[in-house]
Amino acid sequence: MSRIGVFVCHCGTNISATVDCPGVAETLSHVPGVVHSVDYKYMCSDPGQTMIKDAIKEHKLDGVVVSACSPHMHEPTFRRACAEAGLNPYLCEMANLREHCSWVHDKEEATTVKAIDLVRKMVEKVKKNQPLYSIKVPVTKTALVLGGGIAGIQAALDIANAGHKVVMVERDPSIGGHMSQLSETFPTLDCSQCILTPRMVEVAQHPNITLHTYSELESLEGFIGNFKVKIRKKARCVDEKLCTGCGLCSQKCPTKKNLSEFNEGLGYRPAIYSPFPQAVPNKPVIDKTQCTFFLKGKCKVCEKVCPTKAIRYDQEDQILDIDIGAIVLATGFKVLQPDFFPEYGYGKYKDVIQGLQFERLASASGPTSGEMKRPSDGKEPETVVFVACAGSRDEAKGLPYCSKICCMYTAKHAMLYKHKVHHGNAYVFYMDIRSGGKMYDEFVRRAIEEDGVKYIRGRVSTIYEEDGKLIVKGADTLLGHQTVEIKADMVVLASAAVANDGAEELAQKLHVSYDPYHFFAEAHPKLRPVETNTAGIFLAGACQAPRDIPETVSQASGAASKVAALFSQSELTREPIIAVVNRTAPPLHSTCTGCALCVPACPYQAIEMEDIKNRDGKVVKRAAKINPGLCQGCGTCVALCRVKAIDLQGFSNEQIFAELMAL
Amino acid sequence: MQDKIRQKARELLSSGAVKVVIGYGEGTGSRVRALFIQRPEDADRLIMDERCVQNLAVYLTKHEVRAIGKPAIVAKMPVIRSINHLAYEEQFNEGDIAVIGISDSDELVDLPDLTSVREYAAKNPLLLTAEERAELDKLETMTREERWNYWLEELSNCIKCYACRASCPMCYCPRCTVEVNQPQWISVPAHEIGNVEWHIMRAMHLAGRCVNCGECTRACPVKIPLRLLNQRIIADIAVNFGQSEDYALAAFNPNDKEDFIR
Repeated sequence: MSRIGVFVCHCGTNISATVDCPGVAETLSHVPGVVHSVDYKYMCSDPGQTMIKDAIKEHKLDGVVVSACSPHMHEPTFRRACAEAGLNPYLCEMANLREHCSWVHDKEEATTVKAIDLVRKMVEKVKKNQPLYSIKVPVTKTALVLGGGIAGIQAALDIANAGHKVVMVERDPSIGGHMSQLSETFPTLDCSQCILTPRMVEVAQHPNITLHTYSELESLEGFIGNFKVKIRKKARCVDEKLCTGCGLCSQKCPTKKNLSEFNEGLGYRPAIYSPFPQAVPNKPVIDKTQCTFFLKGKCKVCEKVCPTKAIRYDQEDQILDIDIGAIVLATGFKVLQPDFFPEYGYGKYKDVIQGLQFERLASASGPTSGEMKRPSDGKEPETVVFVACAGSRDEAKGLPYCSKICCMYTAKHAMLYKHKVHHGNAYVFYMDIRSGGKMYDEFVRRAIEEDGVKYIRGRVSTIYEEDGKLIVKGADTLLGHQTVEIKADMVVLASAAVANDGAEELAQKLHVSYDPYHFFAEAHPKLRPVETNTAGIFLAGACQAPRDIPETVSQASGAASKVAALFSQSELTREPIIAVVNRTAPPLHSTCTGCALCVPACPYQAIEMEDIKNRDGKVVKRAAKINPGLCQGCGTCVALCRVKAIDLQGFSNEQIFAELMAL
Repeated sequence: MQDKIRQKARELLSSGAVKVVIGYGEGTGSRVRALFIQRPEDADRLIMDERCVQNLAVYLTKHEVRAIGKPAIVAKMPVIRSINHLAYEEQFNEGDIAVIGISDSDELVDLPDLTSVREYAAKNPLLLTAEERAELDKLETMTREERWNYWLEELSNCIKCYACRASCPMCYCPRCTVEVNQPQWISVPAHEIGNVEWHIMRAMHLAGRCVNCGECTRACPVKIPLRLLNQRIIADIAVNFGQSEDYALAAFNPNDKEDFIR
């Protein structure tokens, strides 16, 4: 027979105003199995908790029902009190008399009757409770940061500065990402590289950070605190240890006419190259698709000129196995490709460019050394049209979302242009100006009022060439949809930010959800913005949604603090409220049929199939097994299992049944 | 057709490729029964005619049959679908069984492995016939109360003999939910509420798995039209999830339009 103690709380007058608390305690004292039943004004107070502890010892209680507020509020409090008195904390349950009864009903007989039912039901549950023990999962205190843009750099530095190891993986030959391509940054117009490159160097030199550039994630296994990743380190064809980054190979390389990715196709680079002079690490790679040696079998000029003999044509991709405790996804975004705008002639007319190309034109390190020269003939453009929302907010093209950064960078572009070409005309076609943010609207006003950029509210329908000019046709919706035609020398499209190449495959590799546009999905849009639905994997920057640098940096620091919190202990302690597949004596071994349908049903990939072997090592049964580190206790598998072979600890079928049968 | 099956069975048995061939044979009266042929010379006892409709796949998971050794099974379309489902549910692995497939147009189908079974099943999606649809529509025209009463009346005849379960190839669980008594989910005696509980539960457990072979209805000694329950679910799945190789009701997909789980 159970020895259960019932403790009815008045919660000041929160409960006792409508519920007869002494009456509830008195009625419950007659329920079979209840050996002690009392009421008190504040159960959660120190004297209240002491009452529970004393009663556990005095009456040798083997179960406790605290009838008070929501378990969300005080279940940990009372469970801790029970544990201090020597009772397994999971033998303590709460009946929610406040939210479920006193607050929602008037003072009448029926309210007390309902309160009694709520407590009785929990008494029946506690009779079926089993002692449970919290789950300990070891944590590997190394974080993997995927992506070496500003998001990844910030996250890596923050985690490393908290004293934890970081492995950074970047797909390109250098870290820096899109920010390294920008000329100036809004709203302060400070030089992007000047503020970024010191951080890039810090990453490379930080004792806690291991940097793998020109590398990609191959596969991921495991769970929070215990991931195992494989990294593919692509062959650079250069021995990184010997290379000093002198750049002689790039200077002498005979194949120089390869479009530069860093300059967005506006400049050229050799086949052996570092993307830009400030690259980190400043070690070149050989582009095998362009290198004369790899294409024709002879050349080897770089090998001949290299003073340290660092060229390795026979280098192969390396696969690195690394143990990881947490992952920060910071893989960034890309801008829309030319085939998206046939009506704007992007790709057809050399002087129709996208925003990142304009950044390179305006940048002092760009192909024109910062001079405003248009790509087709190198002339200074007299009239430039900036088209905002090129692709964004265009449901007809399947991109209904706002790319968020374009309003600001278009204002910046127009401003930079006016600063370089004082007599030039800058027009901006816009749908709305979205300049929410500290000093942002002031920045846009400055472009309009001080720099004289002409803003036209309306969309551009078409762009075509006539007599060496680009004719931009649009409408001015503030002047009654009047047609506007501008003869421009150059057009800059603020093309939409879209998910990076390979985002979908990466999300599938990591079991991270993603939205219809392949941006990674956060666990909760408001309250868990840097977590994913997979425990231990966090998000930073534009891989989640288009965002600007300040937002990216703060999100990266947010993700880093989550990682640091995770790494602050050597073991993860988890509530044992998880699902368990039963195991029984032979010949059944488990009532699990081994149908494996629960495996795809689990939202957390916590279920795998296990071979049950006899003492000779022969497989006698295959049954489902739940990984306690991954299971979140949602109960989907419990509901799915036809044979009821799975049960949720703390909320077992038997417990729930007992509760229902008590009513 | 019959000769081709006998020929194939003889080959499989004499070459030692399989230990037993599961097929149809003459039973008592004009009835047909399942035959388990273990010697090549017995292969001539196998028959195939319009009476041979039982879903033989039910025997594949029985441990008595497994104990004999690798089986070959005479498989018309519903049986092929059952085999596909059983393989999806990992009840046997590649190479565990051989299939003597027979198409709807009465031709032998070469199904050398489980992949070919899957492809063949995918090529012949499970669709309800016009008559089956008409019967379902008849139920649809009833009001909610009429339909509830219709089922209460039909199910009140149930004697809980579990012939539906025994004849169903997908009811292979070693311990059925109705036998779980801690807690007792389904009331065991053959009374109204217990009967309703049992049949609703069985229908739900077969959701997305039933191959519409009709064996439960044929096996029922009191003639309850059980297949209507399953056919209704088959129709609903086709409308809501389309034809999919996956088990529609269990696959968690982060991009599911229902976001309650996140």
